[in-house]
Amino acid sequence: MKLFNLHKQAAIAACFAFTLTNIVKAQTDTTTSPGTETTSEDEDFSMYDDVGFADQGAKRYCSPKIEGLSPAKLISLGFDFQGPYQMNLDTFNNDLNQGFPENGKSTITSGARFACNIPVISKTSVVWQLGANYWESGYKIMDKGPLAVGYVENPMLKSLYSNGLRTMGINTTLFKPLNDKRFLLFQGSADMSGDYNWKLMPARYMKYSAALIYGKRPSERKQWGVGLARTYRAGELNYIPIIFYNSTDASNKWGSEILFPARAHVRRTINSRNMLFAGYELEGQSYRLYRMESIRNQDLEIRRAEIRLRAVYEFSLKDFIWMSIQAGYRINYRYDVDRLSNGNEIYRAFGLASDEPYIMQNTLTNPFYFNVSVNLVSP
Amino acid sequence: MKKILFIAFAAFFGTILSSFVNQDAAGDRLIGVWEPSNGRARVKVEKIGAKYYGKIVWLKEPVDPVTKQAKTDKNNPDPNLQNVPLKGYRMLKDFVYSGKDEWNEGTIYDPLNGSTYSCTIKMTDKNTLEIRGYIGVSALGRTDIWKRLEVKKK
Repeated sequence: MKLFNLHKQAAIAACFAFTLTNIVKAQTDTTTSPGTETTSEDEDFSMYDDVGFADQGAKRYCSPKIEGLSPAKLISLGFDFQGPYQMNLDTFNNDLNQGFPENGKSTITSGARFACNIPVISKTSVVWQLGANYWESGYKIMDKGPLAVGYVENPMLKSLYSNGLRTMGINTTLFKPLNDKRFLLFQGSADMSGDYNWKLMPARYMKYSAALIYGKRPSERKQWGVGLARTYRAGELNYIPIIFYNSTDASNKWGSEILFPARAHVRRTINSRNMLFAGYELEGQSYRLYRMESIRNQDLEIRRAEIRLRAVYEFSLKDFIWMSIQAGYRINYRYDVDRLSNGNEIYRAFGLASDEPYIMQNTLTNPFYFNVSVNLVSP
Repeated sequence: MKKILFIAFAAFFGTILSSFVNQDAAGDRLIGVWEPSNGRARVKVEKIGAKYYGKIVWLKEPVDPVTKQAKTDKNNPDPNLQNVPLKGYRMLKDFVYSGKDEWNEGTIYDPLNGSTYSCTIKMTDKNTLEIRGYIGVSALGRTDIWKRLEVKKK
């Protein structure tokens, strides 16, 4: 009997504990239903107009984004395709193409493109991202003579046909807000570009680019900045001033996304999941001709740069998976070849620093192109 | 012996009860008014049942510049919700305190693009939250710092 009483007391204690726990929880309940998107009670929101930070030392910092900006791509997998165009190669004063046809036709230039950009630190006071990219350009080329794809005798065309061109690199972006209006933006990258295959090339052929921008974000709909870049976008090394300007109009329908001279686009927002762009991008890099035995030790680099006038449609396939479709006209800006003396970089500064001639000055006609990619976009 | 058993039994339940109370008290530190780093909004966190929810109570730009009306959730993918006012909109949902200054199992809604993300909240000090919205895995996300606000009594 005593044992029964003891069990009874224990059961009462347990019930008490359970009841008290529920009372504690019930005290924090409100009448609001969690299932609805909005709260139903009549709250005086004006009481939240006059507030201050609980932590007196807290500061406000500007955000790296503005309203209406297209979503940043965390991971991107795409394919780029250029239609047929003529390649007219300059004469070359040694055995590179002596005696061989100097014109070729690229029937297709195409390749996969992969890029990722992952936030490592994402705080109010600093945002740091690391990224990697891989682009390839495969060439289907024929000399003008035999008129058969793959029949190529010109050594440079042969190299392009056999090996294609690749760019693989890593990059980093650092956004440092100085206060609620001003910020610094740094981007740096190390790229290996050339006709290499999976054996890659020695690390000494890496190309390094960087940009530093001082910017201002005067409102939720505008940010701008000026800076300096070390870049290979024009095909060869340059140090150039850059202008950064993003904006969205009050209706959220129109905007601009500009990093001049690298790219500039007008944005038309259909809704937050459908956007159209019109503008251009300057794409370029220095590609080392490494794999062909006959020219391997000549320190030859193709200075390739092209302007892509284009229209782009970006839309959400499902949630955070977006598709980007772009079509446009590829204008050849430069496809010349330099021989680097002892491997040293040539810095011309558009002729101001050096007038060293290219060993080949080639011209390419301009094809239409398209590019399609699937992207995982950032929160 | 039986008395010892009873005392041990009661102590056991007392400990459990105490941990519930402490857990609740620790979790309730999330309750309050917070400001995201962009300063565009203020969010009031409340507790409903055992979970925590945050609603927008203030907007830096409360009026839609086109319609001249109070801003609504016009980017919501559900057309039925696009006319719902943003003030009062519950953008943090279903957070559960998991101990160690962390709340998880919740979601965060971004009215700027109409997307809902998985989310974890970490309190780094009593006035600072690290809010991490992510897609699938935490690595694919972005962390924002929210600061606690004190509402001045009228």
